[in-house]
Amino acid sequence: MTSAETSAETSARPAAVPRPQPAVDTAPLRALRRRRALLQVACWVVTAFMVVPVYLIALAAFSSRSALNEFPLRFLPTSFSTETMSTFLSSTGVLAGLINSIMVGLLTLVVSFLIGVPAGYAIARFAFRGHDQYQLFLLFTRALPIVVLSVPLAQLFLSTGVYDTPLAVTLLHSALALPTTILLTSAVFLAVPVDAEEAARIFGCTPVGAFTRVVLPLALPGIAAASIFTFVMSWNEVLGATILTLNQRTLPAQVLSSLSDSPLAFRFAGGFFLIIPAIVFIAVMRRYLLNMWGTTIR
Amino acid sequence: MSDSFFSQPFSRRTALKIGLGAAAAPILASCSGASTSGGGDFTFLSTQFTPVEEKQRFEKILADHVKDVRVSYNSMAVGDFTTQVKTQVSAGKVGIGMVGGLHGDLAPLAENLEDVSDLAGELSGAGIPKELWDLTKLGGTKNAYIPWMQATYVVGVNKAALEHLPSGADVNNLTYDQYLDWAIAGRKATGKPILGFPAGAKGLYHRWFQGFLLPSFTGGLITTFTSSEAVEAWTYMAELWKNMNPASTNYDNLQEPMARGEVLVGWDHVARLVDAPKDKPDDWVMVPAPIGPKGLGYMLVVAGYGVPKGADKKKAATVIKALSKPDTQLEVLRQNAFFPVVEATVPDDLPPAVKLESTAVKATQGASKALISLPPVGLGAKDGEVSQVFKDCFTQICKEGAAPTKVLGAQAKNLQRILDEVKVPCWAPDPVTAGETCTVG
Repeated sequence: MTSAETSAETSARPAAVPRPQPAVDTAPLRALRRRRALLQVACWVVTAFMVVPVYLIALAAFSSRSALNEFPLRFLPTSFSTETMSTFLSSTGVLAGLINSIMVGLLTLVVSFLIGVPAGYAIARFAFRGHDQYQLFLLFTRALPIVVLSVPLAQLFLSTGVYDTPLAVTLLHSALALPTTILLTSAVFLAVPVDAEEAARIFGCTPVGAFTRVVLPLALPGIAAASIFTFVMSWNEVLGATILTLNQRTLPAQVLSSLSDSPLAFRFAGGFFLIIPAIVFIAVMRRYLLNMWGTTIR
Repeated sequence: MSDSFFSQPFSRRTALKIGLGAAAAPILASCSGASTSGGGDFTFLSTQFTPVEEKQRFEKILADHVKDVRVSYNSMAVGDFTTQVKTQVSAGKVGIGMVGGLHGDLAPLAENLEDVSDLAGELSGAGIPKELWDLTKLGGTKNAYIPWMQATYVVGVNKAALEHLPSGADVNNLTYDQYLDWAIAGRKATGKPILGFPAGAKGLYHRWFQGFLLPSFTGGLITTFTSSEAVEAWTYMAELWKNMNPASTNYDNLQEPMARGEVLVGWDHVARLVDAPKDKPDDWVMVPAPIGPKGLGYMLVVAGYGVPKGADKKKAATVIKALSKPDTQLEVLRQNAFFPVVEATVPDDLPPAVKLESTAVKATQGASKALISLPPVGLGAKDGEVSQVFKDCFTQICKEGAAPTKVLGAQAKNLQRILDEVKVPCWAPDPVTAGETCTVG
C-alpha cells in the first residue's frame, strides 16, 4: 500500500458509510481460554483427589462417636468433638511414639544421605567397571521382604545390645532407603552440567569445593525430593519397626495393631494423627523443591 | 591449587550449618528414645486388650492392683507377639517379663515358656476349674501357663427384632430352627436382613462352627466331621447365610454394625458385643446361643499368662498372683468384659452391658443341655490351620454353594493330615482318649 492511497483513504473516511469490519478470528483466543479453563479444572480435580480423603479423615477424627454411627454421614462438620482425639492422644505411648518416629525419620535422613549422596555422585560422574551391574545390585536389598530380614536382624541386634532403640530402626530404615537415595541422587547429579563443575575447578576450587559450592546447590531440589522419599518411607514402615523394638516403638508400630482392633472413631483419629507430620515435612521440603525449579528436576 | 576449600573464609552461616549438622547426629544417636509403654521396669507382653480404651482401662487396673512391681503393659497383634517371644528366647536375651494371650496364642510358644507347675500348685486353692488346668498342659504333663480369664460367645439381640420372633419361641431358649425362622421372618418384615455374622478377616466366625453349630448338631466336632448330622448342619448353615446381612464378610466384630443399627441380631464373642448396648442398654438383651438336636453347644475362651524362658520368674509370679486375686479379676470383668477364672462372686453393680452378658453367660453355662467345647488342645502352631479348614468349608458351602458332602469329604483329608502331623488326642466335645491320635470321622 502506498502512502498516497493511505492518505486518500484516511481523508475519505468521515464521509464514508461505516464499512463492516472484517471478522476477527477469535478461535485461537478461545482455544487458549479453553485450554486455560481445562487446566484449572484439572488442577482442581487433582487437588480434590488429594484433599478430599484428608478432609474426610479430619472430619471423622473430630466428630463425636455417635455422629459416626449415623447414616448417611454428614459432609460438613456438624458435631465437632475432640473427645476421641484427646482419648487417643492421652493413651500410653502415642506421644513417645511420635518423638521416636521423628527421631528415627531424621536420623535415617542423615545416615542415608551421608552414605547415599557420595555414592550417587560417584555413579553419576565416574565410569568404572561393573557400573551398570552395581546399579542393579543396589536394588537387591529391596527384593527381600522386610519380614525375612528383620527376624535375623532382631537376633543380631539383641546380641549386640542395639535392640529396642531408635538406632536399631534407623539402621534398618537407612538400609532400606539407600537404594532409592543413591539412584535418585545419581540421576540428579547427572543433570548438573559437568561444565559448571569444571569451570569451578578452573577458577580455583578444590574437588570438594567445586562439589559443595557449585554442584550441591544446583542439586538441592533433587536432593529435597529424595529426602521426602526417605522420610516418608521411614515414617510409614511398620513391619521392621515392630520386630526390632519392644518398649521404644515408632508411632506406626505403636498404634497400628491397636487401631485395627479399635472402634471406628479411633481409627480415624489415629489415621489423621499419622498423616499430619508427613504432610508437614513435605510442606517444609516443598520450598526447596520449587526453589530452583527447572534446574535439575525436569 | 593455592587456595584450598578449607583455607577459604567461612561465612558465619556456613559455619553454623556445618556445626549443627555435625552436632545433630551424635545428639540424636545418644538419645535412647522415648518409652512407649509407660516406662515400667517389668514388661507384660500380651495379645489381649489391644483396642485403645480397653488398653487404657487395663493399664489402670495394673497400676491399682499390682503394687509391688511397676508393670508396663505392651499389647500387640498375635503374629508380632509370637515373633518377639521366639526371637528373644532364642537370642538368650529376654526383655519380656511375662506373656499373656489366648490359649491359641500361647500354645505355639510351648517350647519358649517356662514350666510354671510350681506356681500352678500355689494357685490351686483359687478355684480355677480343672478343665482349664488341663488345657494349660498343652497335651503334656506340666503347666505351660496359668489361666488368666475366660469368656464365651452369646447372641446379642436388639429388642426391635423381638417382634419378628416366631410364635412360641422363647428368646432365651431358641432352637437352631427357630433362629433361622426368626432371621427369615425379620428379613421379610423389614425388607432387609436383621441377622449379622462376624465373618470378616479378623472375625471369629470359625468358632461358631467349631463350638456352636457342629457340636449342637452332631455332639462332636472332629469325630463327626463327615457324619450325616454334619451335612445337615452345613445345609442349615447355607440356608442361614442366605438370610444374613451380606456385609457380614466385612464384620470383624458385631458391636459396631449393631450400634449403627445395621444388624439387629447376631452371635459374637462377649468382648466384641459389649459396646453394642453401651449407649442404649435398655434396647438390648443378650441370650445364649441356640440349642441343637444334641444340646446347647458353646465354646469356652481361655486366656492365660506364661513366663518366657530366661525371664525373672519370681517377679512374674508376683504379678500373676496379684492378677489372680478375685478383686482384680472382677475389675477386669467390670471394665473389659472378660470373666474371672478364679472363684469370685459376681457383684450386682456391673455396668449394664456387662450385666446383660453376665446373665447370658450364666444361662449358657447353667443350661441343662449345655455341651462345652474347648479351643483345639495341643495343636500348637497348627491351631490356625484347623480353623482354616472350617473357614474353607464355610466359603465353599455357603458362599460358593458347593454340595456339603463333597466339601466335607475333601476337607476331612486336610484335617486328618494336620492331626497326623501333631498326633494329638481329640478334645471336648469329642471323646478324649489319651495317647490316641484324633481321627476324623
